[in-house]
Amino acid sequence: MPLPKRMVEPVLVSRNTIPDGLSLPSELEAVTNGTLANIIRQLSSLSRHAEDLFGELEKEAHNLQDRSNSLQARIDRLAVKVTQLDSNVEEVSLQDIHMRKAFKSSVVFDQQVVSRDTMPTAMLETYQQCDKPPPLRKLNPYRDDGKDGLKFYTDPNYFFDLWRQEMLKDTERMMHDRGKKPHRPRNEGGGGRHKKRVRQPHNTRERQRQLAVGHGEYLMPQNVHYRTPQPVQHPDEALLVMDSRPNRPNSIEIRRSYPDHGDGSYSPQPSIHSQQSQYGQTSQYGQPANQHYSQNQPYAQQHMPQPPQQQMVQPGQVNMSQVQPPLSPSDTSHYKSNYPGSYEDSGYYGGDAYQSPNSSIYARGAAARANSQRPSQPPPAPPSANNSSNSTPTGTSATNTPTRGRSMSAGRDTLPPPPPPPTEVTANGVGPGPVPGVLPGHLINRTNSVSGSRSGSPHSTPTPTPPRQLSRDETPEPLHNDILPPPPPVPDMPPAAAPPPPPPPPPLPSALPNGQLGKAPGTTSPPLNINGDVGKSPNKQIISASPPKTSPPKMGDQVAVRKVHNIGPVCDTRNDLLKAIRDGIKLRKVEKSEQKEVERVNALHDVASILARRVAVEFSDSDSASESEYDSDGWVEQETSA
Amino acid sequence: MASGHREAFQKQIQQDWANREYIEVITGSIKKITDFLNSFDMSCRSRLAVLNEKLTTLERRIEYLEARVTKGETLT
Repeated sequence: MPLPKRMVEPVLVSRNTIPDGLSLPSELEAVTNGTLANIIRQLSSLSRHAEDLFGELEKEAHNLQDRSNSLQARIDRLAVKVTQLDSNVEEVSLQDIHMRKAFKSSVVFDQQVVSRDTMPTAMLETYQQCDKPPPLRKLNPYRDDGKDGLKFYTDPNYFFDLWRQEMLKDTERMMHDRGKKPHRPRNEGGGGRHKKRVRQPHNTRERQRQLAVGHGEYLMPQNVHYRTPQPVQHPDEALLVMDSRPNRPNSIEIRRSYPDHGDGSYSPQPSIHSQQSQYGQTSQYGQPANQHYSQNQPYAQQHMPQPPQQQMVQPGQVNMSQVQPPLSPSDTSHYKSNYPGSYEDSGYYGGDAYQSPNSSIYARGAAARANSQRPSQPPPAPPSANNSSNSTPTGTSATNTPTRGRSMSAGRDTLPPPPPPPTEVTANGVGPGPVPGVLPGHLINRTNSVSGSRSGSPHSTPTPTPPRQLSRDETPEPLHNDILPPPPPVPDMPPAAAPPPPPPPPPLPSALPNGQLGKAPGTTSPPLNINGDVGKSPNKQIISASPPKTSPPKMGDQVAVRKVHNIGPVCDTRNDLLKAIRDGIKLRKVEKSEQKEVERVNALHDVASILARRVAVEFSDSDSASESEYDSDGWVEQETSA
Repeated sequence: MASGHREAFQKQIQQDWANREYIEVITGSIKKITDFLNSFDMSCRSRLAVLNEKLTTLERRIEYLEARVTKGETLT
């Protein structure tokens, strides 16, 4: 019901101005006097409203003035900073680039602009005069279906919940459709959920009738229907959907925080918060996915640390884990069979992409101009063209026909969103995905971790650490072997020298700063001094050593070269470069995944985050053909949490 | 006598009309004030909204530039 913001009272100033039961000498004068008195009241009311009006305007203007003042200060600071900026002087170390935090916008969007809190005071006065809703919540203890009785009467969150459900469903479906190719085995089970369903119109009469019937037996069969937050998940609910009533959003559930504001004026604000907690604990997020992951354990090990992936498969997991448990072993075997080929392939791929932008940087012995150089490099070729090859699990021929798309996707999925130097992305118009500046971070990590764990998500996962250490000992256990490549050819290398694939430095950051790699100190430092081409040699060795299986003769050469290097003395003049190289290899710290999870759960309950997520999904949808397909999932995550 | 009564009534009615006119003037003025206040409020708000929009745009640009210029925190 629309309420006028300000009402000048009283109206009808001339009426009822003659007091009853009094004989007046002159009625006309009485009417005049009464009218004048009412007019004076009107004027006072008007002046009060005017004061309020000016007060509001003044407040708003003051707010704007504050903002513009702070903006002016920021501009001044920025001007000073820009004048001091000199890209020639500034040293950008490799470490800084890769360790840089993701950009997080501090802009807050206005939300809930029409909620109780943002109601202007003038309107609030009018609002306070309205009748309160009947205290139906007192009947809540007598309801055995856990619904809030008042929500049947009035539900301020109804439309938001409806909208939110729809948007989330849409987004998820979009992501599902996009992720169909790489995650095909899992999507087969839940294909029905992509079915578009027409939302039924809201039937008020039916609802009223139900109210009239009360909370008795008629409501009972629909409880199941109401309790499911996303009814599309359950195919057996098709019958229930045929009901004339539309799906109630589950905001109707009684909130735990409800008795807190028992004065009858329940505001939408706290209920949303309680809803968040409710979602986070019980309903569709988290639990189904966990169920699924706990069932197929090896698969879960790969995919555990990826929030975007989890998001993508949320609704489907219920079906999958319940209906098709036998899928999981085949899934893992599929992965297992695909890994050798993919491993080499991605090794090559990483090598190529790594060489082009960075060898020149290394060759100059300074990474100072990395910023300016990177954007000019073309993004690496998208591997997603091979995505179609994963339709059938290629069993034993994996070595000869590497199914890059499939395994790349698996590897990519586990990768967290790349650490975006936020400025480069937008400035060069490269788009969020294949920013060349971001690549070396991955690839350095990958080329080093390739010998170890193919899952190669050194940033976010705690799990890949054990495999890598295993690979350093050259004894990869079969336990991790489903994600590991076959062990490198041991007999090729002399035992005294360092192991040919440059052993990744231990991921502990503490081990790095002193410049001593734990097992093989000679692998990176000596080549610089002896070799003529100082810049390129270590780089290429790292790269070419990454696929040890495909090029055994080359590797033998490297071993020989490296042996020569081991003899040479260590020159200290290049320490900075060495340190930069080592630091580049160093693993990035990543924010806590649980925190991200919490953020994700919380984030999807306000309009801005939902919209941001949707926009992000749509954007990433547009360039899904490119290489950054799986990175974009990470971007989605980034934007929602922002 | 009757004419005197008549005179008195006429005078009263005339006085009443004068009062009504006066009241009408006052209420008309109140309406004008209200109209002015409303239009003033509307125009002020629209201008403030425009300003607010510009400020928001500026803030975003400045934020972009700041992020571009600063080295940024690292995850260490």
